[in-house]
Amino acid sequence: MNVLWYFLSPLIALLAGLLFLGLARKIMARIHWRYGPPVTQPLIDIIRLFSQRSASHGALFDLGLVLSLAGSLVITLFLPLGNIAPMSGSGGMLVILYMMLLGPLGMALSGGASANPNASIGVSRKLMLAMGYELPLLLVLLAVMTRFDTISIVSIVQQQRAGAWSIASFPLVVSGIAYLMVLPAILGLRPFEVAGAAQEISSGPQVELGGPYLALATMQHGLSMYIGASLFVNLALGGAANPFVFLVKVLVVLALCLFVNASFPRFRVEQAIGYLWRWPTLLALAGLVLTVVTGR
Amino acid sequence: MTLEMVLLAGFGGALLTWLLGKVSARLRNGLAVLLALGMFVAVCLMHGQSFQRLLPLGFMGLRLSVRMNMLSWLFAVLILGTGLLSVIFSLRYMRGRSRLDYYYFTLLLINAAMLGTVVAGDLLTFFICWELVSWSTVLLISLKGTGRAISAGLKYMVMALAGSLAMLVAILSLHARFDTLTIPRLAELLGAAPLGYVLFVTVLMSAGFLVINALWPFHGWLPDAHAEAFSPFSSVLSGVLVRKGLYGLYLLVYVLLGTGLLQRLAWGALSYLNVMAWIGAITVVFAAFRALVQDDSKRILAWSTVGQGGYMVLASSLATELGVAGGVFHFLNYCLLSALLFFVAGAVEHRTGGTRDLNALGGLMRRMPVAFTGAMAGVMGVIGVPLTNGFVSKWIIYKSLLSEGRPFLAFAAFLGTWGTILYGYKFLHNIFLGRLPDRFAEVRRVPFTMALPILVLTALVLVFGVLPGIPLSAVSAAGVSMGFGSLGLSVWGITTDTGTLNVVNLLAAIVAGVFAVWALWRGLGRSVRVDQDDSYAAGMAVPRQRYNFTADFYGPLRRIIGPWAGDAADALLVGLARRTALVSDAFRKLYTGYVGSYVLYILLFLAALIFVQITWSPWL
Repeated sequence: MNVLWYFLSPLIALLAGLLFLGLARKIMARIHWRYGPPVTQPLIDIIRLFSQRSASHGALFDLGLVLSLAGSLVITLFLPLGNIAPMSGSGGMLVILYMMLLGPLGMALSGGASANPNASIGVSRKLMLAMGYELPLLLVLLAVMTRFDTISIVSIVQQQRAGAWSIASFPLVVSGIAYLMVLPAILGLRPFEVAGAAQEISSGPQVELGGPYLALATMQHGLSMYIGASLFVNLALGGAANPFVFLVKVLVVLALCLFVNASFPRFRVEQAIGYLWRWPTLLALAGLVLTVVTGR
Repeated sequence: MTLEMVLLAGFGGALLTWLLGKVSARLRNGLAVLLALGMFVAVCLMHGQSFQRLLPLGFMGLRLSVRMNMLSWLFAVLILGTGLLSVIFSLRYMRGRSRLDYYYFTLLLINAAMLGTVVAGDLLTFFICWELVSWSTVLLISLKGTGRAISAGLKYMVMALAGSLAMLVAILSLHARFDTLTIPRLAELLGAAPLGYVLFVTVLMSAGFLVINALWPFHGWLPDAHAEAFSPFSSVLSGVLVRKGLYGLYLLVYVLLGTGLLQRLAWGALSYLNVMAWIGAITVVFAAFRALVQDDSKRILAWSTVGQGGYMVLASSLATELGVAGGVFHFLNYCLLSALLFFVAGAVEHRTGGTRDLNALGGLMRRMPVAFTGAMAGVMGVIGVPLTNGFVSKWIIYKSLLSEGRPFLAFAAFLGTWGTILYGYKFLHNIFLGRLPDRFAEVRRVPFTMALPILVLTALVLVFGVLPGIPLSAVSAAGVSMGFGSLGLSVWGITTDTGTLNVVNLLAAIVAGVFAVWALWRGLGRSVRVDQDDSYAAGMAVPRQRYNFTADFYGPLRRIIGPWAGDAADALLVGLARRTALVSDAFRKLYTGYVGSYVLYILLFLAALIFVQITWSPWL
């Protein structure tokens, strides 16, 4: 049974990510008073895209995308899915933080290799935005790790399940609010949709992608949504006792971010960093200081 | 072959290379490579030895001596290994330039003198070798002869001199007090010395080491020096030469003082180790932000060297076995990575006619695959991507910071890594990715003797990333020789009492993931290879020339951090130097060369004396 989860958990994450992309289009359409495509539309698109032929810009262009999707699939083995966490014993949060790099990094390499300035602009924006939200995010993660005195994410989830959710307990509530404030930026949703700005830089890193490449990129996009939300659920909302409850929590978090997405226009990069480095960072810093001062 | 013979061969061989160069350039190059190789092999074979011996050589009544243990061995092997690769890289890179005899002589002299620094058995030998390195470095930095190169050399000289004078005062005072400079003997005697005196010696010597290790606020010399030196020498400079400051810190802090004495060097929260840790943390963050606004390929790497040195000092200042292991291991890893990246920058510079401007390059991945492979491995390693060597040392550093309960220091370390991602990608993108400009369409591949060092280092980066147990066993032994416990190691990773890192799991997961996706993509997807001009421009015509996004790559971020990322510490020191020059110049104007004014000075002085005597009568 254990071995099976090595295959099942990436698959569940992938399906959940794609389902979410479909749901997002539906919800956005309803907010716009449109009918919207069916929820399974992304899945249908992927099957169709694989049947098409596309242009390749060389080995790194291909390999970057493969690495990006592979990295995103592998990271789901490290993040607990409810009570299931096949590889959580290997290095804990520090490894998760680094493995989470592989997805964006592969995308950045592939984008750079596509020799299109729009892709390069998109990557540079994505990296700057990441610098923007990592500042508060790292403070939040350090507060959580200090509070629970461990680098193991499984242990963090267990301690929350024994006590209270991080976001509902003092002093981590301060960090939790800061985390919530930067979550749309982590997910790359509006008002932080700077990297993939469709009208401005032709979807940024994805500009040269078509056919099977676009299929891989769509899967990676869905997965990255799932990963961002699932880290939040594990660290702030106490994880879950089983995969089903966990997925419901992930979906609720993502839906919440969708409402933000529907309500705000896009920031410029400066505005985004200006926002991220002001209130969320101050709150996250306060959270870390409170955590250190109050101790365990 | 004994250590004494290696040192003798090193110094003698350097001179011989210079003389041989007068006869034949080919013989000179051959001897230089053989000498560097011989010294490297000879010192490698000394693995596990531990001794302290007097040399049949004295200076001012003191006998010089050498010592060897695993800490010295690790530093020595890295110094000589980098030196060897640098000599090999120089063969093609330096061909056709002037004053080559002198270049090889200085390079080999620095190699031997650096070896002398890390195997010195007493502080006198240490200081002599230290100064030999410093002075030869000034000459080698300025060898290009351009105005910028000479001023970079001067800046280095003034700062290094200030540092080593502080160290000299400490050494002389130690000698006057204890009448010995032998390291083990001093370690015993310092334990019984009054605390104020220990602090005096510690602060003076640390200042010298911080300058060479280029930590904030003494980092100012490094970016200029690295950018202006010849690329093969930049590798030596960045990989090992600046780290003799790190070796000095280890020698001072853990060998001479020891952890027992260190715990007494504390006044509440303000302790020596805390101050060092925070200097390291500030350096990490500051250098990361400075690096990402640079537009010169070697300047980015130079700032990266400053920042990574911060990690080493930060981790080493924890005074735990894991922290020190993280510091030493990061030194080892970054030595390989920075040498590799400077070789890559040098190869690009060599083949593109001296271009280092990151806004003029682009797309070279297609023309220089070996250099690109090296750059990928190097950048990924500096970032610390899993399966490269940098990942393991950074994991150990973070782990030790967190388990010691230092979240704010850990925050600085994490933030520095994000800065690394940004400037690392900029380095990679602006040189190798994007569109290949037409004027580089015929750039040739890297020649063999330049490709060899790049490939060797790339292989080491990956092997040490997958099998970290191999280098870690030496790192652990070095920690033991500094008085710490040994680490729990396996060939795949490291075990601590609060967490385990096992790289084989990561390797298996990543390989399986990549294979699965690759199979999916190969099995289902079909694609056709297109030219770089065949791209989508949102309905516009694609311009053929310079259709690249490189200029001001992180513009919006630069505009935000710009006001805070100014180099205030460097500006202060440079301003101080300029003001000193002005004051000295004012004094010079007193010497008018006219006898009348000298008579006036004498009269004024006498008048002042008489006035003082009449008013306060201090004399008689």
